[in-house]
Amino acid sequence: MSSDLVQILEGNTFVVSDTRGDIEASLTDPTGLFSFDTRFLSRWLLTVNGQRLNPLSVDDLNYFETRFFLVPGTGTVYVDSKLSVIRQRAVGDGFREQLTLLNHDDKPVKLAIAIEADSDFADLFEVKDALKKTGAYHSRIDDGRLVLGYKRETYERETLVSSSAPAKIHPKGLEFKVTIPAKGEWSTVLDVVAVNGTWMESDQHTHDRRGARAHLSMARGLDKWIEKAPRLECEKDSLKVTYRRSLIDLAALRFSTRSLPGRSLPAAGLPWFMTMFGRDSIFTSLQALPFTPELAETTLLALGERQGTHSDDFRDEDPGRILHEMRYGEMTAFEERPHSPYYGSADATPLYIVLLDEYERWTGNRRLVRQLEYEARAALNWINEYADLMGNGYVSYQRRNEKTGLENQCWKDSWDSISYHDGRIPGFPRATCELQGYAYDAKVRGARLAREVWKDGSFANTLEKEAADLKRRFNRDYWVQDGEYFALALDTEGKQVDTLTSNLGHLLWSGIVDKSKARAVVRHLMGPRLFSGWGIRTLAEGEGRYNPIGYHVGTVWPFDNSFAAWGLRRYGYKEEAARVAAGILDAAEFFNGRLPEAFGGYAREITLYPVQYPTACSPQAWSTGTPLLLLRTMLGLEPVGDHLIVDPALPAGIGHLELLDIPGRWGRIDAYGRGRVSAGAHRVRTTTR
Amino acid sequence: MADATTDFFNTLQRRGHEPFLQNTTGSVRFDLSDGDSVESWYLRVKSGDIAVSHKKAEAEAVVSCDRALMNGMLLGEINAMAAALRGVLVAQGDLGLMLTVARLFRGAYDARPGAPEAGYSRRKK
Repeated sequence: MSSDLVQILEGNTFVVSDTRGDIEASLTDPTGLFSFDTRFLSRWLLTVNGQRLNPLSVDDLNYFETRFFLVPGTGTVYVDSKLSVIRQRAVGDGFREQLTLLNHDDKPVKLAIAIEADSDFADLFEVKDALKKTGAYHSRIDDGRLVLGYKRETYERETLVSSSAPAKIHPKGLEFKVTIPAKGEWSTVLDVVAVNGTWMESDQHTHDRRGARAHLSMARGLDKWIEKAPRLECEKDSLKVTYRRSLIDLAALRFSTRSLPGRSLPAAGLPWFMTMFGRDSIFTSLQALPFTPELAETTLLALGERQGTHSDDFRDEDPGRILHEMRYGEMTAFEERPHSPYYGSADATPLYIVLLDEYERWTGNRRLVRQLEYEARAALNWINEYADLMGNGYVSYQRRNEKTGLENQCWKDSWDSISYHDGRIPGFPRATCELQGYAYDAKVRGARLAREVWKDGSFANTLEKEAADLKRRFNRDYWVQDGEYFALALDTEGKQVDTLTSNLGHLLWSGIVDKSKARAVVRHLMGPRLFSGWGIRTLAEGEGRYNPIGYHVGTVWPFDNSFAAWGLRRYGYKEEAARVAAGILDAAEFFNGRLPEAFGGYAREITLYPVQYPTACSPQAWSTGTPLLLLRTMLGLEPVGDHLIVDPALPAGIGHLELLDIPGRWGRIDAYGRGRVSAGAHRVRTTTR
Repeated sequence: MADATTDFFNTLQRRGHEPFLQNTTGSVRFDLSDGDSVESWYLRVKSGDIAVSHKKAEAEAVVSCDRALMNGMLLGEINAMAAALRGVLVAQGDLGLMLTVARLFRGAYDARPGAPEAGYSRRKK
């Protein structure tokens, strides 16, 4: 998103405007008030005496609130106005805007203040793809409010606009004729409410919680959120900034679903991905587990409630499958898009089990594991019954919805992300390597849950046997002998897709790698073809499709690195894990603590600073979670029984570090460490205390 | 009237217990309109035990739609969430409970080989 746009949000409602606070959207333009994937305002223009305003400053007060300081007139170098205009806007189920005009003159002033309002009720998908609407628009004045509406058959959405000060309301907006006394001021509160049709009916009461009181409780909520998380004390100030930024952004990324009132799970990214994503919500919950474990619980419940129950080709749904993405707009309603929800993801289902087990290991909450026993069994069943598309014992993917389904159903989901060394692209189905790792881990962890919580030893034995068999076959079939690494995928003929990729990190994390092969894998991850000095590249230098600014073919993804660091720790390579953490956290400093989704794969010696990859979404949930997981891996936090093991290996530049009040089954625990691992690219010194 | 709706509720009534719902307690009422008439089905779940009636009593979740739509959902021809977004199905009250119960809709009717009954693999005895 371009930097001269201002965005604020709450849950799945957000506003994107220019720096004057105005919205002037075309069908393809991304500004507006959006709620549940629908644009409820595409025009919101303020004029004073027929003139547009000029921005002096914009204060982002909070992620849900902003303030615009404006003066009349545009285009002049000097601003010498007797009038100031302040728009203070907070998002709720729409937004509330306090509009204040200050007269600095020593005589009264007569003003015509006007708000132009309109809505195209575009679906987010339409904004992305510039599609045309088929329904009809209407506009009326009802009970002192302006009502903008859209109707297509039974589908109906409305925007309600009202003002606390008396206004002349007409179908295209509101007008105020006011006289402001000398040195005086005039103010009104404008309320914009997004009405999401009858399916949201029982939520109407939430409109009352908007306004000043709701605003106070949101601000308090954010303070409480930060207070509840572990406290970080550290000699390196930039790490404290990054940590705080992560907590605030994670708060902003919280998404609530009507089915679980009062709870929230991480949405994927702000603003265009403020919705439930299986993969993103799970990865982010895993990263944040030592800090905010309640996110994981809500993720498990929300995804469990929507678990697939039958075979539906349009939605790529199978029994037991965990959803990929949920959407609420018009195109989803009329089944022009499959997102109600869409299930085309091959990793979310095994990762669901991984999260459930990891959650229990941290929190000791067995009640949830018992509650989700059916969901977990159905997910494990999916791996064997529905995910083995080639009948070779490996998880693979191929979309059944060929029109609007996803081609690549792994996290590297761009068209060219999966290629052979020579650049050719394999056919479908594709059995990418990390999926086998996740499936292995799901079986191992599922076995533990079956034995310890569900008291089903025979199921546990079966899962363990399957896991061991999968590991044995995987280490044989995916191992590229000459190069000593694991192939990215197996193709339809069972041949290796022989590129060297960051997926190796996920394999270490999953535990599927034979101990005897780990050293070679680590050598690749930390070697110059993959490790840029900032982090591990998605695709190694020297591969056919390598491009340091290619989305999944050469850039460095912070989230990818955080799981690689976890994997390195899992196999005992704690100094290497610390070096990955050091690179990514150094990069975070360049982005004021907010890691982007991805940055360029250029070598650190060449660029001296990380080159941001231009993407639409910031913050992105799993980039936000990255510093949290890196803190975990650097401190070597590992729950074992009712204890938390602390085994720090910190980069030298970090100095002394304390993470206080880490929540878990042990109550609260403090962890300490001192940085001793050299972050130098090729030298590794010994460790920590 | 013998249709998918009647079959569905009769099957639930006959089974009397659905292990998949053993952590679920609550009531859902389905108000199904057919022309001018509305038929109510009242589903009471208590730790997996199911009682079905035509009571028009208060429930924690209430689903209102055409009977034809309910049949379509049970036969897998209509997606419940998309229908709700279109406004042809109204869900009030405890949506979590409704989502849980709605997962029973298709399972019983899925004839695909290998599909676990009711969409869930059962504990091996």
